[in-house]
Amino acid sequence: MADFNVGLRDAGSVSIVELKGYLDAHTAPELENIFNKLIRENKFKIVVNFNQLNYISSAGLGVFMAYVETMRENNGDIKFANLKENVYNIFDLLGFPLLYEFYKDENEAIQKFNEPGKS
Amino acid sequence: MNLKNVIKFTRSRSLENAAVVSVLLLIYNFIFPIHSNPIVSLVNEVLVFLTIFFIYNYISPYTELRKDAPLSLVLNAGILGALVFFVISLANSAIGDGNSIKSDTGAVNTLFTTVLNYIFIIVLAYIFSTFRTLYYLRQKKDQSLYFNTMLFFFVMTFFSEFANFSSSLDFIHDAFFIVTIVLISLNSLKVSWIAFLTKKQKLYLLLISIILSILFGFNFGLLNESNVIKMILFKLSVGLYTVFSLVMIYGMIYFGVIFFTTLFHLPTAEAFDRRSEEISSLMDLTKLITQVFDFKELADSIINFTTKICNSNAAWLVTISEDGIEVTAVNNIGYVEARLAAELFLKDSVKGVYSITTADEIDERFNFRTVAVAPLNVHNKLSGYLFTARLSEVDFDKDEKNTLQTYADYASVALENAKLIAESIEKERLEKELDVARDVQRKILPVNFPVSDNYELSALFIPAFEVGGDYYDFFELSDNRLGFIVADVSGKGISAAFIMAELKGIFESLAKIVNSPTELLIKANEILKDSLDKKNFVTAVYGILDYKNGIMKIARAGHTPIIYCSAGKISRLLPKGIGLGLDYSAKFENSLEELEINLKDGDVFVIYSDGIPEAKNSMNEDFGYDRFENIISSNCKKNLDGIANEIVKEITLFSKDHTQHDDITLVIIRWSS
Repeated sequence: MADFNVGLRDAGSVSIVELKGYLDAHTAPELENIFNKLIRENKFKIVVNFNQLNYISSAGLGVFMAYVETMRENNGDIKFANLKENVYNIFDLLGFPLLYEFYKDENEAIQKFNEPGKS
Repeated sequence: MNLKNVIKFTRSRSLENAAVVSVLLLIYNFIFPIHSNPIVSLVNEVLVFLTIFFIYNYISPYTELRKDAPLSLVLNAGILGALVFFVISLANSAIGDGNSIKSDTGAVNTLFTTVLNYIFIIVLAYIFSTFRTLYYLRQKKDQSLYFNTMLFFFVMTFFSEFANFSSSLDFIHDAFFIVTIVLISLNSLKVSWIAFLTKKQKLYLLLISIILSILFGFNFGLLNESNVIKMILFKLSVGLYTVFSLVMIYGMIYFGVIFFTTLFHLPTAEAFDRRSEEISSLMDLTKLITQVFDFKELADSIINFTTKICNSNAAWLVTISEDGIEVTAVNNIGYVEARLAAELFLKDSVKGVYSITTADEIDERFNFRTVAVAPLNVHNKLSGYLFTARLSEVDFDKDEKNTLQTYADYASVALENAKLIAESIEKERLEKELDVARDVQRKILPVNFPVSDNYELSALFIPAFEVGGDYYDFFELSDNRLGFIVADVSGKGISAAFIMAELKGIFESLAKIVNSPTELLIKANEILKDSLDKKNFVTAVYGILDYKNGIMKIARAGHTPIIYCSAGKISRLLPKGIGLGLDYSAKFENSLEELEINLKDGDVFVIYSDGIPEAKNSMNEDFGYDRFENIISSNCKKNLDGIANEIVKEITLFSKDHTQHDDITLVIIRWSS
């Protein structure tokens, strides 16, 4: 279960966070560190790529809730992309899609950031 | 009776035996004051021998008891030796050669000489048993053969005196006498106990032993001359006289050997003292390690020992933590000074023990001239330093540095142990608190459910190992209505349990005043805003069953779907709604949807926490909704506890090789018209 990885790369002004494996109470601090690092670097436009994430627990969900406010206050956001069906269902059940933007593809999310007029 | 039993018997009754034999001897001597006849003489010799033997048997356990204090044994033997010396000298000057005693057959004379002989026998037995005890002291191997051989020759010499009446048999006596002396000399060499004395004791022993050797020599000399005591001894028993002389020779030789041995041991006495002190304090330290688990107490003991063993004036212990170095314990030095020294003398690069001597004053706040430092290592990790310092400029020698390092090694293990134990106590305390939290959680959940003809209720809660935040409850409301809640706080542990307890308060009070499930969830969300962390949320299903009219109103906030079984058909009810605590704006209110269902007879609602669909098997697969719904649909008609049992059974089977990670909560409601 401890098998978890966070990758980070840039796509212009947008930072892509790539998740891999299981995101739960034990691995959540790793993701928190990444978000803290991005905030220190004043990078608030974030797309999280869930392509390789197999499982997310409530503690994992909590990480996004804890950071999204900071990003939005700084003209940024956390957008979700490439979710597997089972992971999306968890978000969906909780009503996340009403509060966050979900995209089938990472590029869509990046584009959304780059659209003029929008944040 | 074999020999062993005889010895055992005579040992256990030695005092009675001694008394009986000595009285017999006294009576015998009254009857035969002069032993002219060989037969009379032989019987007398045997009686004397038995008296000596039994008194010796009686006395030897007492000297045996004092074997831990050899010096006092030596001193006691010496006092008796001195007593003999004074008695002989006094009698000599007072009575003269005492030839008259020998031929005097008067009763008073006999009584006087016999009683005096008893005193000599007691002295003889005591001194001899002292030698025996000293002989066996600190012997690594069984050396009893040599001693018993000597004993045998003592006895032979005793009886050979008797054969002396014919001068042609003189050589027998002389041979035994000489062999006994040779054996005495050999046995006198067993003085290894001297090595274990301290230097002070050795000096003391040196002084006494030379005096005693001379004293016993004098005694022997005096006994050889014709004088009154010799007469008195002779009168009772020739053997007694000879053996007494032999013991005096033994004393002379033995104390002489002790004198020289001690003399040769003196130069190494100090080193020996130090070693033995090192060993004994290491032993004390080992004891401390196993008995004292208080860090501070241990540290204090360690530095106290260090000062003593390294001949230093001060010692202190420095530990390294994330916050830097810290002086943990000091002896004869102030904390400020100790800290200063740690800053002045610590070298990062040095792995082992080292010392520094400075002729000049480094810092006016630092009073010491020589400092030795040993690192404390635990599992190859540096955990601190043990310091010791001298006021003088005498550097620590190699032995002292080694000792310091040994101490540091012990100290690091002991301190690590103390730390681990403190941690495990803390962990135990936390676990106890978790137990309390689990207990509280159990008590918050209802035990007695409302009862009505129009509905059946069943609820089940299986906690995971950790405390979780599952909560369910039923509320009897006005107008034939039943409120019910199933909620799940995100996360685990104490914080989830606290929120869960808060939920109980919120829902119980809101249920009484709010009539719509959506409205109730909205109000609950507002209240939770103040107590929920940013990253925490609560999912919930709240429903109101109007059981007279057969209407179910139900709302959901991010919770798992409600499984609804109506007329044999299974469906998932998923009224829209985001979890409590995810958003506190109008978005939450707007997201909520309220389902209103007109019930048919026998309709079943199953509400549960995500512990059920997310139960894992050994392949890490989810139990899932399909399995879950199948069980419900095939058991829909059973009584509710039967359905619940069936579900639990299947989950247990499914995840039998997998530990339960999440609480499982299951609430089943059936309505009947």
